[in-house]
Amino acid sequence: MENLPKGTLIAFIAVHVNVVLKLIHRPLVFFQLDGRLNGHADSREKVTEFGFDYCYWSVDPESPKYASQEEVFQDLGVSVLAGASEGYNVCLFAYGQTGSGKTYTMMGTPDSTGLTPRICQHELCCPLSIRSFLEIYNERVRDLLRCPEQKPNTLRVREHPEKGPYVQGLLQYIVSDYKQAVKLLEMGIGNRMTATTHMHDASSRSHAIFSIQYTQAILENNLPSEIVSKINLVDLAGSERADPNFCRDRITEGSNINKSLVTLGIVISGLAQNSQMFSSCQSINSMASEGEGSTVGSQSSSLSGSTRRQCFIPYRDSVLTWLLKDSLGGNSRTIMIATISPSCSSYNETLSTLRYAAHARNIVNKPRVNEDANVKLIRELREEIDRLKSMLLSFEMRNSSPSLSDDRDGSFSDIVLQNELKVSVRNWGT
Amino acid sequence: MASTYSAEWRSVCEKFRRAQHLTDVESKKDPENDPFRSKYKAREVLKEIYNILKRYDSEDNESEQTGGDHDRDDDHDGEPGCGSAHPGDSAAGLRAARLGAIEYFLGVNHVETEELSAGEEHLMNCMKLLDKCLVSRENVSVFIQARNQLGILWAGRDEIEKAQGFLETAESIYLRYMKEDGQPPTDLAEFFVGEEEELSQQERTRRFEMAYTHTLYYLAQVYKNQEHYEKAGRYCHITLQRQLAFDQFVPLDWAINAATLSQYYITKSCYMEARHCLAAASVIAGLAGEVPSEAAAQESEAENEKREQLRQKRAEIARCWIKYCLNLLQDAKKLLEDNIGELDIERQEELKRARRREEEEKEQGRKSAVLFGSSETSDSICALEEKVSCALPLDFQEARAIFLVGQSHVAEAKEYFQMDGHVTDHIEILQDHSALFSALSFFEEDLERRCKMHKRRVDMLEPICKDLNAQYYLLICRQLQFELAETYYEMMDLKLALANKQDELDAHSIKKFNHLCNASIKYYQKFLDSIRSPEGKFPEKLEEDVLRPALVAKFRIARLHSRIISSDVSAQLQNLSRSLDCYNFVVHYCEENPEARKAVETELELSEEMVSLLPLKIERLRAKKASSN
Repeated sequence: MENLPKGTLIAFIAVHVNVVLKLIHRPLVFFQLDGRLNGHADSREKVTEFGFDYCYWSVDPESPKYASQEEVFQDLGVSVLAGASEGYNVCLFAYGQTGSGKTYTMMGTPDSTGLTPRICQHELCCPLSIRSFLEIYNERVRDLLRCPEQKPNTLRVREHPEKGPYVQGLLQYIVSDYKQAVKLLEMGIGNRMTATTHMHDASSRSHAIFSIQYTQAILENNLPSEIVSKINLVDLAGSERADPNFCRDRITEGSNINKSLVTLGIVISGLAQNSQMFSSCQSINSMASEGEGSTVGSQSSSLSGSTRRQCFIPYRDSVLTWLLKDSLGGNSRTIMIATISPSCSSYNETLSTLRYAAHARNIVNKPRVNEDANVKLIRELREEIDRLKSMLLSFEMRNSSPSLSDDRDGSFSDIVLQNELKVSVRNWGT
Repeated sequence: MASTYSAEWRSVCEKFRRAQHLTDVESKKDPENDPFRSKYKAREVLKEIYNILKRYDSEDNESEQTGGDHDRDDDHDGEPGCGSAHPGDSAAGLRAARLGAIEYFLGVNHVETEELSAGEEHLMNCMKLLDKCLVSRENVSVFIQARNQLGILWAGRDEIEKAQGFLETAESIYLRYMKEDGQPPTDLAEFFVGEEEELSQQERTRRFEMAYTHTLYYLAQVYKNQEHYEKAGRYCHITLQRQLAFDQFVPLDWAINAATLSQYYITKSCYMEARHCLAAASVIAGLAGEVPSEAAAQESEAENEKREQLRQKRAEIARCWIKYCLNLLQDAKKLLEDNIGELDIERQEELKRARRREEEEKEQGRKSAVLFGSSETSDSICALEEKVSCALPLDFQEARAIFLVGQSHVAEAKEYFQMDGHVTDHIEILQDHSALFSALSFFEEDLERRCKMHKRRVDMLEPICKDLNAQYYLLICRQLQFELAETYYEMMDLKLALANKQDELDAHSIKKFNHLCNASIKYYQKFLDSIRSPEGKFPEKLEEDVLRPALVAKFRIARLHSRIISSDVSAQLQNLSRSLDCYNFVVHYCEENPEARKAVETELELSEEMVSLLPLKIERLRAKKASSN
């Protein structure tokens, strides 16, 4: 994900191994990936260590460190609900290889319900919640709460100044009890399964977003008011075949060469992006800054934003990034759950999932507030401070009449500049 | 050797055709759980061909040894220095090329079925066979394509340097061949077709040049991977140029790629190249056809899709043009401003003189650049380039010309990216428009007109800022608030300078001045309010991305409060104490969060001074008020 906001809570879960990463002030839990377990310990004898906010192990229910669905909900689901009730948009998404348990974590099974139904259950204390459920397959949006027979079922994504990003024509349901909520959820999951031609890997090729719009009535200054927040629960496509637009970082990170000239655009926009980053980091440390970027110092001078060079890269966000824009860049909290499998055969995918999540943890990619140079202001203030100082000095020396030379040319700017000064000068003078 | 017309040879050709059909056509229909079924079949067929060719080889060798049907050209003891190299068109050379081609196809087949090591082996065999030959019309395609494949293969294994080696060799083989021979060479597939199916010269050229375009494209990626961005940019440029020259492009895609490349050049301050890319992008995008009417779009989904695509891509190219104009203006401003951000007249003169000197050199630079276009398009590209300068503007007239071009592209881009439906894009365009005005105002000497330009900025941004829901567009809201606050500040400064020129200070000017002060304060305050939690609490610790802006906003509000003109002492006192509060905020925040100090060094230093000086002044003012009562 190109632009995970700071303050992202990143969680790692698998049917088998769970690791959670939370960015805000929390000691990291370290997760070790031991290449030697691999059987063919050729060149991978290293033990790789990653730090995350939470790690869960849910391979074997008998194991003492086994994490149940309830436990995961208590850590993550509860913080989703807390964020929403504080008025933040919350986005929780699962990332990982097919079969590592994304859908299990997000949806669960009838005997072991996952995060989404649990969140639905707890959130229902709020009477005004609106739900929608959609699927993105091949950059096309499909309404999962609409009968598959109904047409048209390819929807457009748009932005509204007041309501934010939305899908035109997406059905929205108001539900009042848990039973209804679960029914909707099941209906959506059912549609996801049946409508696709690739039945056997329906969930691994498409992203599914279950949204809850959450409205709370509050009293603000004794006036009834409401807080609207949105919870997006996202079940991503399998990471091994995730939409290349979605995790472009990860794909272009490798040195694989794009073979077809059709992908020339990716290469060129990568090039433009790269040089933009390079030219901008001289002034403002925007864009994906690795590590705990506290190097704001580079802009300590008053010439901050003005040397930044901005260009436009005509590269459309993927539908997913577009829809989650408000969750990723706005007033939001984000939780990423990365799921991995302990199987030896998945070693490479596991390593890359962990790397990606650890990398995501450090991605801060927010557009900055551009600032004009305030050289002029600083110069004026310096002059004023000097004047103030000298006046104080002359006053302290009981110099009978401090100079009123500042009044001399009587220009408007001096009058204003010394608006504060004059008052005192006159006072001292008499 | 079997005659090309023999029945057996015809069966080889038939086999080859089948292998190709399996690879290119059948394989697309393979089921997901057996994705390589057709390719495995193709591999078996290729192996059969390989065995047949091998048999021919040994038969031929025998016949040579018995002094039978000896090929005249097959001269092992060729010219000195060439070792045992066969000329490419000798019988042995042809045999090697043919066998090499089959090795090549086998190699590609293995690579495509994810058997990299086996694929590599076949490709290396192909190379070994050809290494015994001199490069010629018959085998140059095999030489290049095998190296292309090996390049990709090694890049996939993270061995970029190795990949680079193969690809660069392919590049130099091409260049040498074109210099020494240059005739359309035999295509790989032609080894296994009857004479009646031989390709036209034109088709041979097309295929050969396409292979080389790929070499360059792979090299572009290799250089990008090695962070040789300039080289990578050049190779992308040449790839685009070749697509155009050999008519191997989709207009809209090509145009977007060229427009994107222009943005790369902009970041490098290469405005001539950037302009060339943009002009070409606009012209080529024009080749993509007319935008279907709204009525047509409503009738058919395909027309609707086409309409969307065309309008969107053209609007995107317009946005690339906006950035071109904007960066050109801003770069010129940076070059021309003195230490307080005003036009430096001496510098201006100096640059104008320098430009006259350089003009001739520039013409030459242009001739050496890689230019896009075919006979039909290059005139239109050139005409478009002439509409806007690529030199940094040095005075108002020049700046204005660039501004106007930028502004016309703003209008064009906004036509598609409307507020309703494209909020973020629409606002980004408005921000660029505002930035264009801001940059232009630098060149404007008349303060009144300069002030009006800033007023235009306010007029375009203020209503948007009001309508936008911060819940979804928080960052945009913040940017707009900050920009509005600064624009009002700028206007206030200009009003001041204007009033300075008049001798009198009239009530109207004071009122106007105070209004601007207050408007600026209002937007800085809105920005600061946006940092509050949903419950309205200001954070104890500022996030890194708002740290500096928030402290700067406080600092400026402090300054603005003390600048409000009032004749009423109580009001003066109130303004001064508000000012002091804000300076205090900056100082206290940095005391409690020492890591913030380096973000606002200068502002902090000044705030500290003001915190120590202002209370005395307030005290005096109070005393005065008391005494006058």
